Amino acid sequence: MSGVFERKRWRRAAFSASTFLALCSAAPAAIAFESTAVTSPRATVTLISDAAAVAPGQTFRVGLRQKLAPHWHTYWKNSGDAGSPPEIRLSVPEGATAGEIIWPGPDRFAAGPAMNYGYETEIVFPITVTVPRDATPGQPFNVSADADWLVCERECIPESGSFRLDIPVAAAPTPASDDVRAAFAIADARRPVPSPWSARLVSEGDAFALTVVGAGLTEAAVKSAYFYPASWGITDHAAPQQPSITDGTLTLALSKGQTFNPEAKADGLLALTDGGGATRWFEINPSVHAAPAGNAPTASLIESLPLWQTALFAFLGGLILNLMPCVFPVLAIKATAIAKLSGGELREVRRAGTYYTLGVLVAFTVLAAALLVVRAGGTAVGWGFQFQSPLFVAGMSWLLLAIGLNLSGVFEIGLGVTGTGYSLTQKSGHAGSFFTGLLAVVLATPCTAPFMGVAIGTALAAPVVICLLIFLAMGLGLAAPYALLSVFPALARALPRPGPWMLRLRQAMAFPMYASAAWLVWVLSQQVGDFGVLVALSGALLVALAAWIYGMAQHGTGRGLIPRTLAAAAIVGTFGLLLQLDGAPTSAASTQAGVASANYEPFTSARLASLRKEGKPVFVNMTAAWCITCLVNERTTLSTDAVQQAFRAAGITYLKGDWTNRNPEIGAYLRSFNRDGLPFYAYYPAGGRDPVVLPPVLTESIVVGELERAGRSALASPQSIK
Amino acid sequence: MTNMRSKAHPADLPFDRRTLMLGTTAGVTMVATGGLTMLSTSPALASPQINKPAPDFTAVDSNGKTQTLSALRGKIVALEWTNHDCPYVRKHYNAGNMQALQRQAADAGVVWLTVISSPAGEQGHVSPEKANELTETRKAAPTAVLIDPKGQVGRAYDARTTPQMFLINAEGVLVYMGGIDSIASTRAEDLQKATPYFRDALAAVTKGEPVTNAVTRPYGCTVKYTTS
Repeated sequence: MSGVFERKRWRRAAFSASTFLALCSAAPAAIAFESTAVTSPRATVTLISDAAAVAPGQTFRVGLRQKLAPHWHTYWKNSGDAGSPPEIRLSVPEGATAGEIIWPGPDRFAAGPAMNYGYETEIVFPITVTVPRDATPGQPFNVSADADWLVCERECIPESGSFRLDIPVAAAPTPASDDVRAAFAIADARRPVPSPWSARLVSEGDAFALTVVGAGLTEAAVKSAYFYPASWGITDHAAPQQPSITDGTLTLALSKGQTFNPEAKADGLLALTDGGGATRWFEINPSVHAAPAGNAPTASLIESLPLWQTALFAFLGGLILNLMPCVFPVLAIKATAIAKLSGGELREVRRAGTYYTLGVLVAFTVLAAALLVVRAGGTAVGWGFQFQSPLFVAGMSWLLLAIGLNLSGVFEIGLGVTGTGYSLTQKSGHAGSFFTGLLAVVLATPCTAPFMGVAIGTALAAPVVICLLIFLAMGLGLAAPYALLSVFPALARALPRPGPWMLRLRQAMAFPMYASAAWLVWVLSQQVGDFGVLVALSGALLVALAAWIYGMAQHGTGRGLIPRTLAAAAIVGTFGLLLQLDGAPTSAASTQAGVASANYEPFTSARLASLRKEGKPVFVNMTAAWCITCLVNERTTLSTDAVQQAFRAAGITYLKGDWTNRNPEIGAYLRSFNRDGLPFYAYYPAGGRDPVVLPPVLTESIVVGELERAGRSALASPQSIK
Repeated sequence: MTNMRSKAHPADLPFDRRTLMLGTTAGVTMVATGGLTMLSTSPALASPQINKPAPDFTAVDSNGKTQTLSALRGKIVALEWTNHDCPYVRKHYNAGNMQALQRQAADAGVVWLTVISSPAGEQGHVSPEKANELTETRKAAPTAVLIDPKGQVGRAYDARTTPQMFLINAEGVLVYMGGIDSIASTRAEDLQKATPYFRDALAAVTKGEPVTNAVTRPYGCTVKYTTS
């Protein structure tokens, strides 16, 4: 209620001030912080200042304020298909400087096949003005503006006006009235902020897409998204923008505008609306990538990856395959044979080397293709090949353990294959060489399988091009020694002799596998806490058990049904464990939310309800140990002195809910906001009014700004009720 | 061989952060590809393409005569979308700019068709008589004024504003589409400062030269299409 009185008092003060000025000077009636209005049935327009008195050297803001009749709108700097933005020609005293309009983030208005960008209800176009240091207190600081604006509903009316503010210079600045500051707050709420994310535009034919990557871009946090290009011609404004969001990646499918230039920058605003309906505007300056025919996104992604490194590692992996016990002896024997050859035979051998290489590469290509088919099938049924998924991480750690156990010699893979393979390589001619290469891959299976596992794991997560590249580089690595030997037979002498070192090398290779498995268990502990570690280690135990039993059966000590059944049971057990992990976030990792603190209370619906009944302001933070964004927000924003002080100053009760464990109360609370995920922040202003949902990525200015804004609208709300 | 063995370690490196990056980017790729595929398979919006045959149309003019674009082959055709109450249109007519362009076109043998796509009840809608009266009082010089209340011609050209200009060469190819000039305002003072895109295009086409700025931003009021 105090807000109403305050506003009236201001109005009265404003009235008497303007009367006074009108009487005392020949200048048009003006008051310090809001000019006389230019009024039409469509719009009431004034020039406003956020300072009622300015100090020398001070920076303050003036703005063109437009109060619009229902359904009438004015325009953003890119007005869309029709209309045009307002123009403000500002005059400031000598020595003062004025900046450009800080364009508030727009909304969009469809009109038939056209789409326009602008504002309804009320908007302020702010301009920053700096008062000269030598301004004299007591003197007026006159700011005047000539402005043109177009106001449209279905039809458009051009309007214009001249405005003047006589702002006194004082030793200390005086803020404008609450009403005027609330008007600036409208522009502030829409003020675009630099995007914390990376953005790129990829074009292909008529279609193109905007991809934005970064933390906080989750399906739960972003309910709708729209790209407002800064100028005409980049996108077809009227075309729908189809958004899709996976964790951390937002993609908007766009249509090209008529003058889209794949070479040019295409900056603009990304508007994100959260589940609570609150919209934020982010300045983006996406890099533009024209696509070579076919696979545009991949082509552009390659640039951002150390691709040559990936290929190099795969090549080295392939090279190492040659040292495995089931490949090296063959290679050594062949090398010795080659070393004895000369003349015409040598030429033949060289050609054979080429065909052998081809054979290896074809085999690897087939393997890669098979994998891609499996992957495509997986995508179709909705697999997520993500290390963010605890299921995938646990499964991967067990696979690596199994590979390590295999390398350690606990069990072997496909012992029978090697024998059948040899005979086929005995064919003669180029076809023979080709098949030798092809089959070398098959022959080597018992030893290569562990490495294939690694390659497959990597490829599961890689784009098609990279997946193929990994396999081809690996194939080249496998084929390289023999190919080199066929070209330079003298190299054979440099080869080490086969021996027990091969077995030791293989066993040594197990340890990087164990290390990787251990790392993944740690990742799991970060994701789902100590329950995850329990599941992962129990699973590891079962995998080891199964491997040991299987290995015994292979060595003939237990070829019976019982060991096999036991091994199978152990494997089934691990899968059972995996299901335990599915959506079982756990308590123990909830340390962050569990740290006792004087500045918050644990969330309960009852506590929230009673606080609201008392009319007290409440800030609700829903967090979880597995929500990295939540923890970052808490560390960088909510726990800072500035925010805590703002909370205390506003008398806010800070309620923190911990969703690390399943909690039906919190689940129901989130669902009441149409949310099913974290982070989630809501501010309940004093007086039991409707909550404001904050964006998922917080900064101090966002939180403090939101508190102030909600505070101001608390003052302004009786006006809207009237 | 120690060398070889030490190189063994990087073989499992793809499993650390790099793999996570690969995973994320794979996701990005799949989503981006998906988005592109979705769009490229959906039917494209009908919109005219520069340097492609202009969409054909048939419409009745203010004198009851049927005008068909394909029947005008061999002549250069200018299309002007209009709404006489739109402030942007008024800027060009009140200053005499549009009429000057129409005369320039007529002198060069160009067929100038003014198109009104406003349906009854919307701003800019006129009866044939009123259309002729407007031509007379404004001293306009179009070849004909097409009454397009169903918006068929307008939608075929994806005309979104008034004014909006198109230029079709003698072979029926669209050679210009966009605005009259470069300054989107309702102020007549801006006419002198603006780059006259349409006048330049008209001059180029009548001389048989290529148009420098063939696609420009059309500016103005929205075309008030019928919603039924």
